[in-house]
Parts: sequence; C-alpha cells; structure tokens
Amino acid sequence: MAILFLDIITTASILFVVAAGLLIVFGVLKIINFAHGGFLTIGGYAALVTTQLHWNPWMALPVALLAGLLLGAVVELLVVRPLYARPLDAILATWGLSIVVVQMITIAFGRGTNFVQSPVQGAIPIAGDTYSLYRLIMLGVAIILGAVMIGILQGTRLGLTARAVIMNENLSRSLGINSELVRFVTFSIGSGLAALAGALITPLLSVDPLMGVPWLLNAFMLVMVSGTSLIGLGAACLVLGGAQVAISTYSSPVLGALSIVVLSAVLLRIRPAGFARA
Amino acid sequence: MSEALTVDTLTSGYGEAMVLRDVTLRVMAGEVLAVLGKNGMGKTTLLKTIMGFLPAYRGQITIFSKPTIGEPPHHLAGRAVAYSPQEQAIFQELTVEENLKLGLGRRTRFAPELKRVAAFFPFLAERRRQLAGTLSGGEQKMLIMARALIARPKLMLVDEITEGLQPSIILRLADVLRREKSANGTAILLIEQNISFALSVADRYAVLSRGEVVDAGDARQPGADASIAEHLSV
Amino acid sequence: MPDSAALAYPVRLPSQRSRIERRLLLVSSIIALALAAAGPLLLDTYSVSILIRSFLYGAIAVTVDILWGFTGILSFGQAAFFGIGAYALGLTVTQYDFAPPVVTAALIGGPLVAAAAAGLAAWLGFGPKVSPLYISVITLVLSVIFVQVIYSGGDFTGSSSGLSNFDTFDISIDGWFRIAGAFLVAVTAAGWIFVRSDFGRLLVAIRENEQRCRYCGIGTVRVKALLLIGSAVITALAGFAYAGYNDVIAPDLGTQLVIWVALGGRGTLIGPAVAAVLIDFISAWLSGSLPFIWQLIIGLVFIVVIVLLPQGLGPAVADLFRRGRTRSVAARLAPLPDADVAGSGAVPAIQVASVSRNYGSLHVLQDITFTAGAGELVSLVGPNGAGKTTLIRCLSDGQERSAGRVAIEGNPIGRLPPEACVRFGLGRKFQTPNVFDALTVAESLRIARSRRERLSVICTADEVRLPAAAMRVVQATGLSSQLGTTVKHLSHGAKQALELAMVLAMEPRVLLLDEPTAGLTKSERSLIGEVLVQLVRDHGLCILLIEHDLEFVREISSRIIVLHQGSIVMDGTVEEVTNSELVRTIYTGEPHAVAA
Repeated sequence: MAILFLDIITTASILFVVAAGLLIVFGVLKIINFAHGGFLTIGGYAALVTTQLHWNPWMALPVALLAGLLLGAVVELLVVRPLYARPLDAILATWGLSIVVVQMITIAFGRGTNFVQSPVQGAIPIAGDTYSLYRLIMLGVAIILGAVMIGILQGTRLGLTARAVIMNENLSRSLGINSELVRFVTFSIGSGLAALAGALITPLLSVDPLMGVPWLLNAFMLVMVSGTSLIGLGAACLVLGGAQVAISTYSSPVLGALSIVVLSAVLLRIRPAGFARA
Repeated sequence: MSEALTVDTLTSGYGEAMVLRDVTLRVMAGEVLAVLGKNGMGKTTLLKTIMGFLPAYRGQITIFSKPTIGEPPHHLAGRAVAYSPQEQAIFQELTVEENLKLGLGRRTRFAPELKRVAAFFPFLAERRRQLAGTLSGGEQKMLIMARALIARPKLMLVDEITEGLQPSIILRLADVLRREKSANGTAILLIEQNISFALSVADRYAVLSRGEVVDAGDARQPGADASIAEHLSV
Repeated sequence: MPDSAALAYPVRLPSQRSRIERRLLLVSSIIALALAAAGPLLLDTYSVSILIRSFLYGAIAVTVDILWGFTGILSFGQAAFFGIGAYALGLTVTQYDFAPPVVTAALIGGPLVAAAAAGLAAWLGFGPKVSPLYISVITLVLSVIFVQVIYSGGDFTGSSSGLSNFDTFDISIDGWFRIAGAFLVAVTAAGWIFVRSDFGRLLVAIRENEQRCRYCGIGTVRVKALLLIGSAVITALAGFAYAGYNDVIAPDLGTQLVIWVALGGRGTLIGPAVAAVLIDFISAWLSGSLPFIWQLIIGLVFIVVIVLLPQGLGPAVADLFRRGRTRSVAARLAPLPDADVAGSGAVPAIQVASVSRNYGSLHVLQDITFTAGAGELVSLVGPNGAGKTTLIRCLSDGQERSAGRVAIEGNPIGRLPPEACVRFGLGRKFQTPNVFDALTVAESLRIARSRRERLSVICTADEVRLPAAAMRVVQATGLSSQLGTTVKHLSHGAKQALELAMVLAMEPRVLLLDEPTAGLTKSERSLIGEVLVQLVRDHGLCILLIEHDLEFVREISSRIIVLHQGSIVMDGTVEEVTNSELVRTIYTGEPHAVAA
C-alpha cells in the first residue's frame, strides 16, 4: 500500500516536471508547444551524450537545460514569433518541428534505444520494502519547482507582469510591458524545462527518438485540464497520475498508458474549465 | 507652454482602408483637446496610431519633442503617456490593487500613490482586493481613470470614458480631469461623443469626420456646441 | 454611414457565378475521369499501384479540408477512420472467408463503426464552452487508441505486422486504379459543390463566429458533428477500398493528412487533393533510398509554408494565373410579404420568476420577477452594474441563471442552450457588434434567415428575402448598397446596423436589444426608434431593450423597468418612472448613492 502511494506521488511528480514548461508557454503565448516532446527528447539525448563522454551524470541536467534554453530561443525567434497573429498555425508549426527533431535525432543517433547512467543508484528502505531513491528525488524536484514557479508568479513584479501578458497582451503593452520579451523569455524557459525534464526522466526509462511522443500527449492533456493554473496542474497530475498508476497495477499496463488521455478527455467534456479555480 | 503631443498630416488605417487622412492637431501641456466625431470616423484609430498599435502611412507623431512613429507601444508608458482604451481596458481577473500597480512604474512605492488616487475614488481603497471584473461598469471606468492618473502622466489619451455611464459619474470624471489639468499641467487628448461632457472639460476641440479634421476651435466659445452638433448629426 | 472603403465594383449575382463554376467543374471532372481511365496505359505498374493509395488519400484530404480549411475543425482522427474501414474488411474476411454477405457486412459495418467513433469524438470534443483545440486533441487520442487496440490484438488483428494474405476482390490493378481515381473525382466534385453552396458559407460562419450562429438558431454542434461523421464515413470507405486492393494492412496512416492539406492550401479543396496525391506518390518513390531525410525535408517545408505561406502552395500557384480585378458577388434583396409574426397574445411573451445570478458570493441579480407581453416596448434602465446585460443573458441562454424560471412565449427555457431559446421566437442583439467578419453583408443576412429558409447544400440562391423591418434597417443605413462588401471592412456603426438587421431577419416575436443605438447618429437613432415602435404596434412584438439615452427611452417606451444593484426598484409607465424621486436620485444622484 505504501508502495502504491509512493508510486502515485512520484509519478505525479514526474508528470508535473514534464508538463510545467508546457503550461507556462500555454499561459503566456496561448499556444500548445507541440515541439515540447521534441525538446524533451533533446534533453534525453543530452543526457546520453553526457554519459558517452563519461562526465558526471549530474552534468546532464545543466547541459540539457542550456540546450533547451538556446534552442527554444531560436525556435521562438524563427518560428513562433512570426506566427504571433495565428496561434493555431503556431501550434501546427511546432508540431512540424517535432517531426523535424525526431528525424534529425534518428539520422544522428540511429533508431535504437539507449540507456543513460543514473546519477543516483539504489533504493532506500520504506515500510518494510525498498523504493527507488531516484524516484523520491523526483518528488523533491517537483515540489521545489512548483514552489519556485508559484512564488515568482504570485509574489513578484515579474510574475505580475507575466500574468498581465497572459490575460491581455495589448493592454500590457500600453502599460509599458515589453510583451515580446516576456513571450521570448517564457518560451525559452518552457523549452529549457522540457529538456531538463527529459534529462531527469531518462535514468528511469530509456532513450529513443520517439520517447517524447507519449509524454507530450499526456502533458498536453494535463495542461488542458488544469487551465493556466500551476496548482491546477499539480492537482491534475495527482489525480490523473494516480489513476494511471492504479489502473496499470490493478488492470493492465496498456489501459494504464491510455488512462490519463482518456480520463482527461471525459473530464474536459464535463467541466471544460478543468481544475482551474472556478 | 510646451507641446505635449503633435500629430502632423497623419494618414493611417487598416490594411488598404485609409481611415485617417492628413490629420493635424496639437495638444499643449496643461491643456485638454477634445476630439469629437461619429463612430467610424477615425477617433479610436487616431489613438491606436499614436500609441503605435497601428502603422502610419504618412505623417509624423511627436510626443514631448521626440518622434514616435515606429516605436513599439510599450515605450510610451516610459514617456509618461497614459492610455485609457475604450474596450478591454482593465484586467478582469486581477485585483483592483494589481491593476493599479501595473499602471505604476516598477520603482515607485504603491501605498502613497494609492492614497492619492483614492482621494478621487474612495471605493478603490476599500475594495483593493476585489477582482476588477466584478466591479460595476461605472466603477471599472473609474478604475481606468485612476490607473491612468496613478503614474502621474504628462500626457493622457482617453477614449470615450463616459460611454454607458450614468450622469452622476460623468460629472465626477469631468471634475477629476479638470483638476488634473490645472493642478499638474497634464496634457489630455479626450476622445468623445458626449458633447456636453467634452466641452465642460476641454480648452479646445476638433471634430473628426471621415478621417479628416473638419472643424476646430475654442471649446469655451458660445457657439462651440452648436457648431459641433451640426457635424455630429446627419 | 457607408464606409469610405466600400467596393465600387459591379456586383454579380450568385447564380451567374455558379453557372460558370459548374461548367468548369463538369469539364474538369470529365478530363480527370478520362485521365483515370487512361492512366494505367501510360504509367508503369509500380506507379499505378502507388497512385491507387494516393488517390484514396487525396479523397480523404478533401474531407479534411472541408473540416479544417472551411469549418475550422482540425481533426487528426482520419488515421483511425481509415483503419476501421480497412480492418473491417480484413478482419471479417480473415475470420469468415470472402463471400458477398461478409463483404457487404464489412462495407456497411466499417463506415458505421467509423461514424460511431466520430460521433463519440464529436460528443466529447464539441460543446458550448470548449476550445477549438479540443476536438483536435480528442481525434488525436482516437487515433492513438486505435493503434493501441490493434497492437494489443495479438493474432486476431495481426498486431504491428498487420493483417495479410486475406482473400479479396478479383479486380486487376488497372481496375483498382480507375475505381480509386473515380472515387477521388467524385468526392472532390461533390465537395466542391457543397462548399460553394449557401450551406458552405455557413461552414465559414461557424468558423468565424459560432456564437452568432447559435443565436441565429443554428445547431452548430450538430452541424460540426455531422461533418465529422461524414468525413469518417468517406475515410472508412477509402480504407475499405484500400484493404480490398491491397491484401496487407497495418496501422500506418499517420498524421500526414494535416501536412498535405496545409501544403496544398487550406480552404481550396483542389490544393489538398493534389498535394496529397503528389506527396504520397513522391514519398513512395523516395522512401526506399532516403527515408528519414525525405521526412525531414517535408517537415521543414511544412514549417516554412506555415510560417511564410499560410495559405499553402496552392493559392500561390493559382495567383500566377489570376487576371483582372476581383468582382464582388452578392445576392439581391427581396421583400418578404408581411406575415403576422405576433404571438397569440394569450401567453405572455416574457415571463421571469425569481431569477437570480450569482458569481460565487457576488450577487449580480437577485429575485427578478416580471412579465412582458406582446405589444409592449419595455426599456430596461439603470446605472452601470445594475445587471442589465446579465439579465438579457439569463433570458437568452438557459444555462446562465443561477436560480429562477424563465419562459419565452410560454415555453420554459430550462437549461436549454441559446439556439434552442432562439427557436421559441427570441432574437438578441449584443452590445458590441457580433457579426461575421469574413462574410459579405448579403451572406450574413442569409445566414440569419437560415432558420426560416433552409440553406441549400448544392446551390446559391440569388435572393435574400427580408421581412419589412429588416429591409427598412438595411435600406436606411446604406447597407443595401454594400451587399457585396466584406463585413470586416464596415464601420462600427454599420456593423451595429447589420447585426440589428440580422436579428430582425429572424422574424422574432420577442426582441432583446442591448444598447441598439450605441454609436449611431441622431437620425439613425430616430429611425431605429421608429422601426421598434412599428414592430410593437403593427406586428405585436414584445421588445425589451437596454438603453442609456433617456430621451430615446422616453420617446418610444410603453413601460420602463428600473434595475439597480441587481434588483428591480421600479416597474411602471413612462410618466411614473420619469417623475419618480427614487429614480432621479439613482441616476443623477449624490455620489454616495452611486457606490454600488
């Protein structure tokens, strides 16, 4: 039982870390960045490269973050910014980008699966059993990430500025906010977070060119369900992630893999505002 | 008196449609210029072009002696320009306080400025934590005005602030604008369709018809309202 | 009021344009069919076999363009629908042998299951407050689930290696080529006729402003669902044909359809069909030698096209051929004989009982009760924030109020959506103009008439018949000389007038008007006032209007309801209200009375 509980909260944490970047991009730029899965994959391969270079495995994190930030900045300037007036097209363009990323990685690294060295090995004893230490660290990461992001948004002038741009960009501009810069920074950070998430999850799974796809779909549904609220995202990750774990354990893993997506679809039908504050 | 805003033979519009044609006007510091006109005649287009939301095809706009065409809108706030648009003028989901803070520069302390504008509109201080979207229409307009005033602007661009308001609030706003002009030397460009309100506040007026200035003069002259009314009716 | 940018070109009637287009369509279809017949004789076998699949994909691309390019529904579900059609044949034949009853069952069953899946997706994905992105999500999920189901089906479904070697039709490759070609031509031609018809403009109207469509009484969710189901059926038939031709099927139609439609040109119909055929054909030829690089190139071209050429390559090519100036096309206006639109009079037009509206702890409306009947012109006045627009919303949308009962013409609106309330004889004009920017004035009026005069799915009518009231508004405000003008180019006041005309075109018995004279000149104001008085006096309408112009209110109303802070403070005749102390205080009053 304790193991099940830990599985649920660590799965929720992983989902939160993966989806957080997508959420802030959705909030500020009003688009779903379909390239998020691509950035995730890039982060994973950054970790692979770090392993192959025999560096300290923890180095994968800053490398991935940096790669994500830089590539995200380039993408924002070349692809997203010109499509500012056409958000649905921006979404499509990022989707095209994800295809491009997958092909490039396949050409560079081949189609096969690879494994990455985990920075932390082993398990700790809990309630008469042992549990992966790395997964518990993910729980800590998610909590810290969430706290930092909420703190910035609600408590700082920067956060107020971001929220203003989220709500009404033109009005923000007339009040002196450089919204182009806000969008640029947000997209870069969102991409960086995606890559970071990719590097964080690879020790738990494996690395292959298509690894981003299932995560993107899940993150996507979670973001739609939570509106533009980080707290809503946390709640969605817990509830839906919990459902995924429960269904995988007690029913079948195939159904479990689909559960987030299917449950979110039904949830959004019943309550289009999702988990956002009513 | 120095010139706050100069618009010189400005021609602008949307896509191919030229809405403004060769518009020239001037607002001096400490002066209120009322720009009147029927709908569709270019008043909001004028403000949007001044703010930089619309490109200008010809002409020049100068604010405090610096040309502004080509500059992005967010630069103007830094030049002490306060814009109060006609629609979507506040953040519905932010509190009254947060809306006002956004009107203020980053470095200024909020509390004393809040006190200053709350003197005009007391409800702002009492309901600072209320979500702006739950205020009534008249209160929202007063919030818009307060936000414009809180940054101590040197130039105010006000777009039909009295639309849909009841007479008592209109009187209050007129009072506030007159005081702002005389106490702080603020230049105000007032877009309006409400002739009596406009003339109670303005020093000079201009009438915009089909994108051109067709009449202009001293707002305090006896025949001003009749002259304007002629242009605003059929 | 005519906008200075109004077109000065001569205007053609829709039927004139239709005639020319139909001729072109007929000629091109015949040429295309001839090509399909002759194809196998000119091409090598490998090309022929590839093109069979490409043609089928082209037909699917046409339906995706109708969904996406015209109606704004981006669906990723075609992979599932195609697979359902294909596996229907493959599975049944594998299990039960190749016999006529089995094949017929698959031919009917496949599309039926696809239609059901589309219906489910529509139910989940379309709804009043749902974002347009959502249907894309649902259909993508559908495709993902379909692939998972196939993969986990073990031997029954052939899993990832697919079903193979099942007995199938005894038709030659050349025969299949002609069948697939004919299928493509048929779907494209039918699609063309459909989108050029009056109903086709409704698709664009839904994409532009779904809310306005609903307030014209159109069940937009149903229209969208039917379109999705239609696409699913055609896609499943294509899948069936593919399985019939190719005795190996595996889930492999990915999401390329969207790319093909985007590259070919959204909203052009022909472009997507051509792009689908070409790209699929070339991909097949290249995928042997450079699989990943080709995909990479397509992906890059796709991104470049989306960023730089959003309309796709099709229109860019077509522009090279376009000559001369565009002429605008618009229907003529024709008057409708004056029908008696009044209600029976026995039942009150509007009945409101204890209606309240809360947002959490904020009470916008409290315990509103009143009745209004035919022949009354009720003005709803009150200071800002009194709740007037909210009340109008509660009267026109059954899901808006928090408590209480509302009945229109004796019909309780319950929790019904706006399109149902409108069908009780209700018309609503919004405070800011709520119209279709991409349509012309004439097309907008026709959409407004669509509840009374059904839109043809095949033709474009030459006339828009308007009832007298709507006609007066259109003529007096100059809209009658701008029938071919795109609404986007109208001025604010003209859009207001258009919206009023559209509402009047619905021949409502109850009219809800939210500041109908905002932004109009004095003469236009009195014109509108005259029209409203006439509607009430001669046609027995019941009008409820929100206004701030007290002069206007005094001149035309038969009754005034004063709303203040969410409650009715006075309900009486014009004299009673204008002479009331209370009302005077509320309006002109001391500052304290205003702190609402």
